[in-house]
Amino acid sequence: MTSGDLGLLKPEPLLRASALSVDYDAAGGDVVSALRNLDLEIADGESVGVLGESGSGKSSLALALLHLLPRNARVASGRVEYRGRSLAEFSAAQLRAMRGGEVALISQEPALALNPVLPLRRQLADVLLAHHKLDRGAVSGRCNEMLREVGFPDPERILRAYPHELSGGQRQRVAIAQALICRPRLLIADEPLSALDTATQAEILELLQRLKRDLRLAMLFITHNAGTLAALADNIIVMREGEVAARGSMGKLQSSLDEYVQGMLFPEKNLSGEPRASDQAADEGPLLEVRDLNKKFVQQRMLSRKKFAVQSLIGIDLSLQRGSTVAVLGRSGSGKSTLARCLAGFETPDSGDILFRGKPEEKKDGVRRRVQMIFQDAATSINPRFTARQVVAEPLEIARWETDAERTALALALMEEVGLDPEWALRLAGEFSGGQRQRLALARALAAEPELLIMDEALSGLDMPLQAQMVRLLMDLQSRHGLTYLYISHDLNFISLFAQEVIVMEAGRIVERTTPAKLAASTNPATRELVEASERLHAPGVEAAV
Amino acid sequence: MIRYLARRAAHGLLMLFGVSILLFLLFQAAPGDFLSEAKLNSQISPGTMAQLRAQYGLDQSLPIRYWQWAKSSVRGEFGYSFSYNAPAASLLWPRARNTLLLSVPALIISWLIALPLGVLVAGWKGKWADRLFSGGTSTLLALPDVLIALLALLIALKTGMFPVDGMTAINAQDEGWWAWLRDLGWHMLLPVAALVVGSLAIILRHVRNSVGEVLESSYMRATEGHGLPRYKLLFGYALPAAANPLISLFGLSVAVLLSGSLLIEVVMSWPGIGPLLLEAILARDLFLVIGAVMLSTVFLIVGNLLGDVLLYAFDPRIRRGL
Repeated sequence: MTSGDLGLLKPEPLLRASALSVDYDAAGGDVVSALRNLDLEIADGESVGVLGESGSGKSSLALALLHLLPRNARVASGRVEYRGRSLAEFSAAQLRAMRGGEVALISQEPALALNPVLPLRRQLADVLLAHHKLDRGAVSGRCNEMLREVGFPDPERILRAYPHELSGGQRQRVAIAQALICRPRLLIADEPLSALDTATQAEILELLQRLKRDLRLAMLFITHNAGTLAALADNIIVMREGEVAARGSMGKLQSSLDEYVQGMLFPEKNLSGEPRASDQAADEGPLLEVRDLNKKFVQQRMLSRKKFAVQSLIGIDLSLQRGSTVAVLGRSGSGKSTLARCLAGFETPDSGDILFRGKPEEKKDGVRRRVQMIFQDAATSINPRFTARQVVAEPLEIARWETDAERTALALALMEEVGLDPEWALRLAGEFSGGQRQRLALARALAAEPELLIMDEALSGLDMPLQAQMVRLLMDLQSRHGLTYLYISHDLNFISLFAQEVIVMEAGRIVERTTPAKLAASTNPATRELVEASERLHAPGVEAAV
Repeated sequence: MIRYLARRAAHGLLMLFGVSILLFLLFQAAPGDFLSEAKLNSQISPGTMAQLRAQYGLDQSLPIRYWQWAKSSVRGEFGYSFSYNAPAASLLWPRARNTLLLSVPALIISWLIALPLGVLVAGWKGKWADRLFSGGTSTLLALPDVLIALLALLIALKTGMFPVDGMTAINAQDEGWWAWLRDLGWHMLLPVAALVVGSLAIILRHVRNSVGEVLESSYMRATEGHGLPRYKLLFGYALPAAANPLISLFGLSVAVLLSGSLLIEVVMSWPGIGPLLLEAILARDLFLVIGAVMLSTVFLIVGNLLGDVLLYAFDPRIRRGL
């Protein structure tokens, strides 16, 4: 890499990783390699996208570039150079000056990127003060200016606030402001959108595009969603199991023949088939009927007598046919989850009827077994210290179903049914990956032999290829067992392939009932917002139910 | 806030009332009373016994005795000590003051040492210094208080430098208040040190663990990624975020200010509330025991309240509603 090559007057890259490998010390003395022989160059002002499914080593790359790997990880070989100098030679003070000053990081979860007990003014000002000697007035002015730049019309209000007082999108904006306040040359964005709802994702993506253009910022954008990269990245690296699977421009990658690359770019191609008509007999009557459901939450602030009533569900009517899939869409906070929790019996509605096969809910336990729920985050709904068999067989044990041997046999069969190797039955749930844990949760729900399966953002935490696999599995199970699905989501991925009916919720009300095919033509503002956000995000990639 | 404090104070009074009733019932259920031992003495005639019982009010029914005690509590006497022939309050106050003279400095010193040290050790997590500290705190935790007190006594005995005979030398007050104060400090040194050693390990562990947990969080990694200096990361960002369990622990250490040093006081003959309580229990000196327990309960209530108020002051999520 000498600059002596005449004619090739390529400028020194801002950041270069050569033959970089990162190892993790796993429990039990194993060494897991997260990154192998990765080469990467980012020039001043250039945007590089890193695309890969979860577990492909993307986040380790981001941390290694900042020399921020956790204690149990280390750079096994190769080097990272910033402006031609190896990071290993940097002193602690030089590293600090580089972090935040020259190279900034936006991390995955905006909810978890800010200190929960410190006011945002301090969290923003401290970044500035870590790199510049400024007086109070200058700091305050700069903070205000930066917050305006990321789209807050009223910065003083944000500066006085604490993280819990902001929405997810606002927190991510503050995190971006923190990263950019010292005008770094390179921004490393590690999945900055994946924890946000679709509409907010589109806003943040637009913001990043604008900032990149205005500040001539070099960017390393890490994601599992190919759609976002089309709008942002000059060059894309596709990663697989810690190695580079392909690299090049979006156009070049789209014509790649590699199956993995195609799977990353077009996850929906894994799913074939036309939108299905629901195949239940129409005269059978609905499996579940909801009439005029209302639910109000009363909040009381600590140390105060004032009560705030939050109307979460207003006059919900709903009917689910046996064997059908109904999708409930809406932004976060629109009441989707409350609806799901009422149907599953976790919440008692204030008024209204929930009829299961035409009869009101009489014995709660009975209904709850016929209605099962899968949550967004399988990691928190499964005890990580249970073995896979224990997780799946738990509902059977609670119901005292048959003998232990038969329960185990059924648990193994269910694991196989959801695509998990029964050989893993004795592994701890905590050792499974996110996608596998979601499959465990599915197997556990199926163990109760439900008729209705409620999925509350059950796929949102997974990356696109995994979501596609899960959708295929769910469709398969539906036709085999005649299951009815209530699929709750904030995005439109796979909706058209999966659902027969779409319900859009906003502020506790159902604002539109439609079919996936008519979704794009909707004139309802809430629906339009979801559709447009989805289109902007998934430009070349995932189908947006159009 | 004021309304909240008033409500908590009312709860506290209710709790004191409940505790006092419970104590009376427990004493009633326990066998024997102050005069049980005298009964064994054949020189005292049954007539004298009956007279004594009447004098101490032990012949009255439980509700009447409780009522009498409640009246005397309102007067600020908290009943009458049988063995000292004095109002319980007049015995308890100076003893409680002496105990606080030990436990308050011990509390302050332990926290002043444990907070910065715990944060630093958390920052060294996984390195040899951390392992050394973990080993040290484990050893300290395993040492029973009696042993620590006995070790302190041993040190005093071997070196001959530390007094272990109560609070002050007999002639201390003769040489002016400055000499008296110095003498008092000298007497306090060993018991306070023993108390600090006894409580330090627990606080240190809590600080290290809760700060260590916060250091692993994604927001601390993000903050480190912004290039903040190390001391600011540890003390300005990690410590405030880790403060909640520590504040609760601090409330607990305030709650045991009166009762936590009992053993040390007895072993080192410090005239605190501990030796008095021990004597009173052995002699079945009813009102003295009840008074001491009630006083401890007051500290428990105040300590818990203090913890909650501090949480409210420190955590914006509680202060400004989650």
